Amino acid sequence: MHAMPHEHTHAPTDPRPRASLTGNGDDPRAMVVIFLRGAADGLAMVAPVEDDAYHLARPTLGLGRSSGVRLDDQFHLHPELATLERSFRGGELAIVHAAGSEDQSRSHFAAQDLMEHGGLVAGGWLGRFLRARADGHAASALSAIAIGKTLPESLRGAPSATVIESIDDFGLGADAAGYLAGLDALWSLETGDLGHAARDTLDAVRRIERLRATPYTPAAGVDYPNTRFGRGLSEIARLIKARVGLEAATLDLDGWDSHLAQGSIMDPRLRQLGTGLVALHHDLGALAATTTIVVMTEFGRRVAENASLGTDHGRGSVMFVLGGGTQGGRVIADGADRPWRGLATEHLEGPGDLPVNNNYRNVLAPLLRRHGATNLEAVFPGWSAKPLAI
Amino acid sequence: MSLSRRTLFRLGGVATAGTALAGCDTLIETVFPGLQAPASLTGPFRVPQSDRVGRLRHVMERLSFGLRPEDWHRALDTGGGDEDTAIERFIDQQLHPERIDDRRADHTVRRLETIRLPQRELFEYQPRLLLAELTRHALLRAIHSQRQLHEVMVGFWTDHFNIDISKGDCEHLLPAHDRDVIRRHALGRFPELLRAVALSPAMLWYLDGRVNRRRHYGDQPNENYARELLELHTLGVDGGYSQRDVMETARALTGWHVRSEERFAKGKIEFDIEAHDRGPKEVLGHRLAPGRGEQDTHDVLRIAAHHPATARHLASKLCRRFIDDDPDPTAIAVTARAFEESRGDIRRTLATLFSTDAFLRARGTQLKRPFHFVVSALRAIAADTDAGEAMQRYLLSMGQAPFQYPTPDGYPLEPAPWRGTLLWRWNLASALVDGRIDGTRVDRRRLEDDLVGPSGVAAHLLGRRPSEAEQVAAHHAADPLALLLASPAFQRF
Repeated sequence: MHAMPHEHTHAPTDPRPRASLTGNGDDPRAMVVIFLRGAADGLAMVAPVEDDAYHLARPTLGLGRSSGVRLDDQFHLHPELATLERSFRGGELAIVHAAGSEDQSRSHFAAQDLMEHGGLVAGGWLGRFLRARADGHAASALSAIAIGKTLPESLRGAPSATVIESIDDFGLGADAAGYLAGLDALWSLETGDLGHAARDTLDAVRRIERLRATPYTPAAGVDYPNTRFGRGLSEIARLIKARVGLEAATLDLDGWDSHLAQGSIMDPRLRQLGTGLVALHHDLGALAATTTIVVMTEFGRRVAENASLGTDHGRGSVMFVLGGGTQGGRVIADGADRPWRGLATEHLEGPGDLPVNNNYRNVLAPLLRRHGATNLEAVFPGWSAKPLAI
Repeated sequence: MSLSRRTLFRLGGVATAGTALAGCDTLIETVFPGLQAPASLTGPFRVPQSDRVGRLRHVMERLSFGLRPEDWHRALDTGGGDEDTAIERFIDQQLHPERIDDRRADHTVRRLETIRLPQRELFEYQPRLLLAELTRHALLRAIHSQRQLHEVMVGFWTDHFNIDISKGDCEHLLPAHDRDVIRRHALGRFPELLRAVALSPAMLWYLDGRVNRRRHYGDQPNENYARELLELHTLGVDGGYSQRDVMETARALTGWHVRSEERFAKGKIEFDIEAHDRGPKEVLGHRLAPGRGEQDTHDVLRIAAHHPATARHLASKLCRRFIDDDPDPTAIAVTARAFEESRGDIRRTLATLFSTDAFLRARGTQLKRPFHFVVSALRAIAADTDAGEAMQRYLLSMGQAPFQYPTPDGYPLEPAPWRGTLLWRWNLASALVDGRIDGTRVDRRRLEDDLVGPSGVAAHLLGRRPSEAEQVAAHHAADPLALLLASPAFQRF
């Protein structure tokens, strides 16, 4: 297997220098990747309440047959995620069950790395996607933004990746106006490709300065959770709406490792996740159609609850895909090679885990295609993707 | 604390742990007397006075990551005031880094513990720490080393033999690879460098050489490394090899693996004759007799290293780094001939390149890549930096974080992909000058004293007197220093 297919030898053919602000040619498509770190329990988020084996395995933690939001004749959504019902009914939200990776280690770190890299390969899947899209051209200076403190492994190898808590971190100092006037004068005589790039960049800086000068007001009726996660989401909306050339943004929601007293760990996070996703989706307005939000986690949790009202490390979990032309309104639990067989012991894997029917790459593949990936092999080397119809 | 407890215990006879913990710096200086920082030079320093970039300045720019305030003055002195003598001596000195006292640079990296560890011990450290220290080391050496050409060539070979630290065990193997393979051979002989790379556990991981085996009849070799060996590392994509050569090379290289289980042997390479394809092979027109085991590897590497296409490929790449993006064919030919005639001696090849007219003529034609820009800005204003996370983030934003390029071709040499990075260059220039970057400080007063005022600073940064347009532009801002670092001239070298 190659570290990457041989895409690197061909020279860029388009001599037009791309603008540094909207390096993607004003393409509004943006991908928002939310990672639930710590292994979020898919069977709690989207519960197979009609399966007797589920209630046997989860006598205390299980969702009742009439609780939550009925999605179809098998699955109910956790009540703390009820805000997502409208998007689901409207067909904008797809839920993929028994989703996960091929990782068998059940180690958070190994599984997160493997999933974010996209296998035992160099760089991250999102980084490779952006690099393949840029195709040797200058990518926008703000094409990839990780909201947080560190770069997620998924963005490794991106042509540009910026780690910020907020666009307010970007600044040109106290004398920004004088500095900009000076830059304008210095670069105005510069001809050629670099001069062209400089003038685009000056536009970019002015847009960012305007953005920073105005406190962000979300669209009417939109209410982000007043948490780090909520603020991160509103920052992403702000950047997408400001059209600064953002192609991918990442944000984490941490702390899903619910070995003990699962409800107290999951409920507040589910509430944040549900209200946050809905807020972002609505805040984007017309741009929701070109923004895909995907929610993923490294693995799911054991089917049977443990003695301390928690669950241990398992395999399959769920993924959510919202907006961006998603063919949603469905819970996809069958995989390309393996149907959903329920939770009876004989259908479980290893110590009693939900098997992975849907490899996460097959969930990401159709989204990446909509976002301009022409060669999935470049994003997931050595993997023949079977993209789900979502 | 600058020494780990483990290291202290290993030093056992020198100091007891109890007394040593109090004053680690003193201890280090007792144990490694070479690590004391020599005093830095103080001005006033002369700066270029002409309207165009002169020859000496040009040569120094090309062989380095940019000039520190004292560099031009010192080099001119070395030539007794004569520019041509100064150029000759500077090139000669840079081609022989072993003759250059580099204690200042050694001192700046003295606290980076993991870069000195033997390979097996690297497995005991968190990958994030290893990457952070390796990156700091690359930056600090580039910023402070007097052996600038060596650092430039370390960067060149790091790209040429690119390894992404994020693939598998590379996260633990790369610090030793950087030290024992790239840095050791950066100005040595290409065939030795190639062999060290080929048998480096990090490369065996990165390009899957460790799983290239033939145990059973019908096992297909893994061609990944063999292909890149011919396409990128030696002959080049137009080097005239065939798909069959790739397959035969892969067969010849079967049998190597990297140990991953036993604690003390972790990361060691081994040749397993049982996993080697023992049949006869034919590589690039050379027949390899059957059953010669690891000798096949050495033969294949020798054949590839000395192939005429390899000389052309490397000469062309070196000219693209040191001359311009579309170098003069004569310069490439002369450089290739020097490479061939010296059997891949990197110094002699470079000496020839530096003597071409094309090299001397091409002034200010190259766009600095982000790493070069960052280092040159820090050098130019003699910034004091820890090269830590805040500084490394700029490299990420500009898309040139060391050791993190995913594909085997390395960060591109051509300017096109880097034109979108001006936003972050301007941001960095302003933040640097304002002291808004954590862990980095600039002594403005000393800079102006050493260079005799703002006009001296400007001439030092540009390598010439500022143009009228530059002077007018500088008046827009309250503080012209950031503007100079963000100017078109400072983006080039």
